[in-house]
Amino acid sequence: MTTFSLDDSSVFVVIGSGASGGTLANELAQRGHKVVCLEAGRRLDFSDIVNDEAVMFEKMTWLDRRIATGKPDPNFPVWNCKTVGGTTMHWTAACPRLEPHEMRALSTYGPMADTTLVDWPISYEEIEPWYDAAEKRMGVTGRQDMPFLPPGNNFKVLEAGGRLCGYKEIDTHNMAINSKDYDDRPSCHQLGFCTSGCAIGAKWSTLYTEIPRAEATGRFELRTEAMVTHITLGNNGRVESVSYWQNGRTHVQKVRAVSVAGNVVETTRLLLNNTSTRFPDGLANTSGLVGRNYMRHFTVQVMGVMPGEVHFYKQTHLAGVIRDERYHKPERGFVGGFLMNTVPFTPEILAKNMLIGGWGRDLTKILDNYKRLAGMLLIGEDPPQLSNRITLHPTERDGYGLPVPVIHYEDHPNTIAMKTYAWSRGRKIYEALGAEQVIEMGDYIPATHNMGTARMGTNAKESVCDIYGRTHDVDNLYISDGSLFPTSGCPNPTLTIVALTLRQAEHIDHRLKAGKL
Amino acid sequence: MKTPLLSRRHMLAGFVLASSTSLLGLWSGTAKAALAYAQPTRLQTLTALMRDAFPHDALSPAFYESIAKTYMRELEKSSQALAELDRGFALLDGSLIAPFAELPMPVRRSLIARYDQEPFFKAVLWRGSELIYRNPDVWKVLGYGGSSIEDGGYLERGFDDIAWLPVK
Repeated sequence: MTTFSLDDSSVFVVIGSGASGGTLANELAQRGHKVVCLEAGRRLDFSDIVNDEAVMFEKMTWLDRRIATGKPDPNFPVWNCKTVGGTTMHWTAACPRLEPHEMRALSTYGPMADTTLVDWPISYEEIEPWYDAAEKRMGVTGRQDMPFLPPGNNFKVLEAGGRLCGYKEIDTHNMAINSKDYDDRPSCHQLGFCTSGCAIGAKWSTLYTEIPRAEATGRFELRTEAMVTHITLGNNGRVESVSYWQNGRTHVQKVRAVSVAGNVVETTRLLLNNTSTRFPDGLANTSGLVGRNYMRHFTVQVMGVMPGEVHFYKQTHLAGVIRDERYHKPERGFVGGFLMNTVPFTPEILAKNMLIGGWGRDLTKILDNYKRLAGMLLIGEDPPQLSNRITLHPTERDGYGLPVPVIHYEDHPNTIAMKTYAWSRGRKIYEALGAEQVIEMGDYIPATHNMGTARMGTNAKESVCDIYGRTHDVDNLYISDGSLFPTSGCPNPTLTIVALTLRQAEHIDHRLKAGKL
Repeated sequence: MKTPLLSRRHMLAGFVLASSTSLLGLWSGTAKAALAYAQPTRLQTLTALMRDAFPHDALSPAFYESIAKTYMRELEKSSQALAELDRGFALLDGSLIAPFAELPMPVRRSLIARYDQEPFFKAVLWRGSELIYRNPDVWKVLGYGGSSIEDGGYLERGFDDIAWLPVK
């Protein structure tokens, strides 16, 4: 196994091993560069992955303390992972692309009060070949040469009800879950535990794709349970080293360049917690925008007690989508759009989500009909707001002695209008099929889509990073995760993160080879 | 502030005056017996609370008692949690003529509704939902299949077998 010396200043350090970190690390190693990947979590293997939501939650989830103010759960506002593979272990693998109009949010929607809507600094045409490359790499169904996944019961209900409501764009979705054996991984066996780590590896996760491939190059070293605490600049204003906590002590790795891929919350915390004379408000934060414009999509649900059995837990969770409502149709009373997906719940999660609405027979009469439940997840665009932001708690510290991140989030009125409309449309779908009862469920799921806190742009005063994710302030410091998104669109963000990362990797490769980095 | 016992005695006086109402008449014997003999244990109160919070006709009284026992054992490790539970039980027991566990269901229900934002009850709901809905015996009752990896997933076991939808 390849190892690099702490004094080796020729290594590119990637912080995080998830969708962006794992992909960037592998891509740079494939292109001939030496890479050290620092991951805060442990490395699991297939024998660790069981079909048990509660067990996997403990094994995979980032459980260090976080605090929320505003709308989210005050103690558990964000649901991401602390393990090799990052949140590609927990993700549903839904891979919609951004639509061209979503990348021109300001031009399409017009200015909107209390938002910082902008157009993306890159066009759809520019990102399109990278979407193609990402889809091929991840084996996205319904794209390139990968067939769609077979239709399951929960999808069939969504489709039948959707068609009765006049919807047309309905299929089993673009999923990074194999519908046939591909890339040394098997096809999906409909285990029904997508978000608890895929026990057979049909779902794309960097744990068993990018990471072992990077290791096979002989130019890559993964260090696990390595929590990065500092990024240190030299006198020339460039990153000189990265400090991390591992095995009870601090290690300092010299670097050539660094990319931070900590799924927004950790990325923000690391930057804000690194203050210096030059950057009193946090590393690479002369714009003051690090941590601001935090976006997370609304993710609300509708459940129907259907006339017959559905067994919605049996199918690939999100393999079902209606796209008709994702377009910009301002006559609906809001800008932007939303996707309607299938989703199941285990009895425990269903009960917990519904406890907010009641207990007793109100709760159990729905659980007693568990076999007949159909479920959908509605995911809608979240406009960027300066006041939605991640900061550091002034006094509270976590187990590493690091300031606890504080996540403040409130819905914009546009979000509330869209959510209300989305619920009503979801309700109609199940009612069209004769549902006995329809339950609209709120934003109870902690955020899994995190975006916007180090936005890309061309103006250093109005953005944190350039169009390749390089910070405007520090030449050899990159950001690779969803922090870069200037606006959120409505798609699940991972495919776009991977596409941007592949594009970034090419840019970094050229700079490294040209001796400019 | 009244102690629970005083409160019950106070309510008992009220009960005698109001004993002509038929609903109260139904349970007066039980209530009086309870006052005359031992107070219900924490376990009995907790069992009643679990059943009222998560009432499934298909689950037996013994099942709810086993859930309550498990939760009780967990709470006993923390004097703070136990004190909060006792505080909650005092509210439930102290409100009416009989201890909570011996009241009829509709009355228990309205009592819980009065206190359902109290921390002790929220904790009962949260942990109770885990202890009940993580239980494979309950999954069988509800019709949830659980772990599927050992059977090759649901691919050949009904993931697409729905037959009642309207024909396209």
